[in-house]
Amino acid sequence: MIRLIDVHKTFKQGASDVVALDGVSLHIAAGEFVAVMGPSGSGKSTLLHLVGGLDRPSRGDVMVDGKIISQMEDDQVTLFRRARVGFVFQFFNLLPTLNAIENTALPLMLDGRSESEARARAEGLLERVGLSARKNHLPEALSGGEIQRLAIARALVFKPPILLADEPTGNLDSKTGAAILATIREINRSEHCTVVMVTHDREAAATADRVIRLKDGLLDEGRG
Amino acid sequence: MLRLLRLLTWRHFLRHRLRTLLTFLGIVLGVAAIVAIAIVNRALVGAFQNTIDLVAGKAVLQVENGESGFKESLFPIVRDTAGVRDAAPAVQGFLPLAGVKGEKLYIYGVDLLADASIREHEFVGGAFDLDGALDFIARPDSIALTETFARRLGLRAGSTIRLATSRGARAYTVRALLREQGAAKVFGGSFALMDLPAAQIALGKDGKLDVVDLTLDDGENIDASRRRIAGRLGGAAEVERPRNRGEQVESLMTSFRVGLFFVSLIALFVGFFLIFNTISVSVVQRKREIGTLRCLGVLRRQVLFLFIMEALALAVAGSVTGILAGVFLAKGALLFAGRTVNSLFFQVDLAGIGPTAREIWIGLAGGIGVSILAAVYPAWQAARVTPLESSRQAVWRSRARGVSRASITGLILLGASPLLAFWSPAAAGGVERFTLGVVAMMLFLLGLCFLSPLLVFWWAGLFWRALSRLPSIPGFLRNEARLACDSLRRVPGRSGMTIATLMISLAAIVTVAAFVASVRESLLLWVDRMITADLVVHSGARTAGPLNVPLQEEVGEKFAAVPGVEVLDFYRLIRSNYEGKPIMIESFSARRSARVRTLPMLVGDAPAALRRMAAEEGALVSESFREKFGKTTGDTIRLATPSGFASFKIIGIYVDYSSDAGSVLIEREWYKRLWGDDLVDAFDLWLARGADPQAAIREINERYGDDYQLFVSTHRELKENVVRLMEQSFSVNYAVEIVAVVVAIFSVVNTLLASVLDRRREIGVLRAIGATKKQLRGMIMAEAGWIGLLGGVLGLGAGAIMSYHHVVYNTKFLTGWSFSYFYPVEVAVISLVASVILCLLAGYFPAKRAASIPIVSAIGYE
Repeated sequence: MIRLIDVHKTFKQGASDVVALDGVSLHIAAGEFVAVMGPSGSGKSTLLHLVGGLDRPSRGDVMVDGKIISQMEDDQVTLFRRARVGFVFQFFNLLPTLNAIENTALPLMLDGRSESEARARAEGLLERVGLSARKNHLPEALSGGEIQRLAIARALVFKPPILLADEPTGNLDSKTGAAILATIREINRSEHCTVVMVTHDREAAATADRVIRLKDGLLDEGRG
Repeated sequence: MLRLLRLLTWRHFLRHRLRTLLTFLGIVLGVAAIVAIAIVNRALVGAFQNTIDLVAGKAVLQVENGESGFKESLFPIVRDTAGVRDAAPAVQGFLPLAGVKGEKLYIYGVDLLADASIREHEFVGGAFDLDGALDFIARPDSIALTETFARRLGLRAGSTIRLATSRGARAYTVRALLREQGAAKVFGGSFALMDLPAAQIALGKDGKLDVVDLTLDDGENIDASRRRIAGRLGGAAEVERPRNRGEQVESLMTSFRVGLFFVSLIALFVGFFLIFNTISVSVVQRKREIGTLRCLGVLRRQVLFLFIMEALALAVAGSVTGILAGVFLAKGALLFAGRTVNSLFFQVDLAGIGPTAREIWIGLAGGIGVSILAAVYPAWQAARVTPLESSRQAVWRSRARGVSRASITGLILLGASPLLAFWSPAAAGGVERFTLGVVAMMLFLLGLCFLSPLLVFWWAGLFWRALSRLPSIPGFLRNEARLACDSLRRVPGRSGMTIATLMISLAAIVTVAAFVASVRESLLLWVDRMITADLVVHSGARTAGPLNVPLQEEVGEKFAAVPGVEVLDFYRLIRSNYEGKPIMIESFSARRSARVRTLPMLVGDAPAALRRMAAEEGALVSESFREKFGKTTGDTIRLATPSGFASFKIIGIYVDYSSDAGSVLIEREWYKRLWGDDLVDAFDLWLARGADPQAAIREINERYGDDYQLFVSTHRELKENVVRLMEQSFSVNYAVEIVAVVVAIFSVVNTLLASVLDRRREIGVLRAIGATKKQLRGMIMAEAGWIGLLGGVLGLGAGAIMSYHHVVYNTKFLTGWSFSYFYPVEVAVISLVASVILCLLAGYFPAKRAASIPIVSAIGYE
């Protein structure tokens, strides 16, 4: 499902280069739930961004769902991301003036789907994450856990085969965090959706089938 | 603090060079307009006075009687009045040079022997001794030119020049050259001295004088002498100090000058919005920086101070440059103003005027004051930024909630504006009421500005809902348009100011266009009813006024003999005074032309009015006269004529757009008797049915064109000329419109850039969840389009209200003229479309920028 082949990523910082990933190769099978761990600056988020097509590697290839997305044009990778990848962020990244149902339906709207289709799909997902009673509320009126569930609902609106989560519990208390992890796990199992989750939290990582550790931009094979 | 200012502000300016430069240019432009208009206004105020002062020499009193002059036989009465030491009679007027296009001379005809006591004429080549003077006087073709004029035309002593006099072209010999001293300095040296009788003949003022300059015996009281001389004249002429005379004539231009001031107010208003907008954007852009400063212990008031000082730095630099630019601009503006004044009011010399300390202060105070005022609100917003802003990641920004304090302020201002517009304090004159009207309109616009966020909120919400119901059509960016609406609705204050700026620009365009359209249509209707002649013949200029040369009646009889001419009438227009204020006296012969002419009557019907006029039952007065002096049908007015005071019963009110000073229309024969003036400014010719006007024009031009410098206009040409003159006087307004549009477009770019910067994270999220670059571009462009549409619609609405008030009420307050209101539909539609298109174009760069934002940094670190 996901394959990274000798992926390097270097950022320019002033006159010097900062190496975020230094030749990472890995494979994640379809339906697998993988947690990516590592200290700050180890390249976890960079890896996630490359898999989601938010960024491009400096060298190497990223293959997702049978396609080399690192070689795609921007529009191609955007459309691919829209349909095949769902994102859940630590800071939720919802649009503050759209209510729950509008936020969920937004990717479908961007895809030009009809209002009725987008709403029906969004309502179904909100029901699934337990937010149907809050569907007309703005994000500011929701609790932290509800907001993250809303973000998950939005991520799933296209039934993507891949769900990428960047510290999904990082901004939540432990109880709420556990509930969110349970939701992700449930989706992984029921939808056979491949999940890649970046986390600092060992307990969160324990939910996953496999843990990949990164250190200084390299896979920490010794502990993997 | 100042170190902080230098460190942060200077770096910010350098980093955003283009925006800094544009804001700087905005201030420069505003200040330049203010300074230039102040200089022009001062030049206009002093223009006529300077000429009078230079020509008046040592005179402490002047006897004169408007343009009609007075009988020469009054001179001994004046001269022999007790207390008068010296009395120098003179006639004056402009004459064009025959065969030299565009050149004319200000002819000053004096008694050379008596004049030396009042004016010192300095001649080239030593003193102009008695023998020289006698030789000059003895030959009636003598003329003295200034050195400058002679040099310009390659003339020297002994050369001959031909002048188009009231009796046709005549040759004169240059018998002396004048140094440009005293009177010879006027009109850039286009000054000529002639002996009095020769000048009287050339100007068609035989047996008449325009002015007698007086000095008094030592110790004589000027006012007592003035009263004494006036008493002896019995109303046949007026006695004034030279300064009062200039002021009276210059009051003719009041509305023109107030109009110019109005234009500089618009420039200032537009400048305010530009600065406000730029500093607001700067605050948005630097929120994190401000948050960090606050984290580091910078106090709120220090942040406030920082932003105010930033505005001050730009304002000082912009104002100083603006003053310099204003001086240059004034040179160009003076040319324009000079042309307008010369065509419409009187001949003036407006060249070579520099700024005074007062104008420099006006520029500095205007630029700095407006900049600081504009900076206060954004600076206050900056001071409210919390230290959290530096690390802000996911704090919700509330959706706008509709009615706010700003909206209530807006409503109050909107409510106050009509009260002020129609408030009429007992002592208020036309200019005061006009000023109140202008202030009311400013309040109205300001009210709309305060209300604009609420209007944006409602409007965007309305479209958001409407677009939701629309089916998805391929190629139609429905969702982008919806998201754009959402962005507008979310932070209506951000786009509100831009929409307000656009609204003001469009309102200004519509107001000027409606005013021009209304004046044009009203003028054309007026010309149709006022001038019914098939052909109108003038000398020296295409219209009757300060530029044309009055001719003798006998010339008209020659025109009457041209085949096809059926009716001939004589029109005369002179400046006079009523109750110490300048007015115009118009005359034509209703007896000759009543059967072929009509009159644009405001009260009464034209045939009856013409009949009564012909019977010398009374005079007609213009609408402006009625408004200015409160005299109406049935009242009696007393005018000073060269034959003494004469009373006229008002027999009707007519419309006269040729002067807002107020006009009195009198039967020509009556006028001739009272004023002793049989000169003619325009010959009105009606042709027989079927006669060829072009053939008549050819005939007149071929036979008499050169001798009299004739301009023969058909009715249509005259109308075109009236419109051209009118448009010429509006050219400054057009320039301000262009500035307003440029500022508005710049505001749109600025606002959208601010919007993109402000929504960096949101844009990142949209990209992350699948929005393509094209969609993002579409969204930002759609936002620009909405701004253009809303700003445009509001501008057209506000413009309709403002222009109606300006045309129907304000103009009447200022000029006494009523115009029919015409809404410029074509201009309105074009402006609206242009507003949307220009905004879309303005949105392109911010849209491109939005699309190029890296997703990762946008969503991760804002």
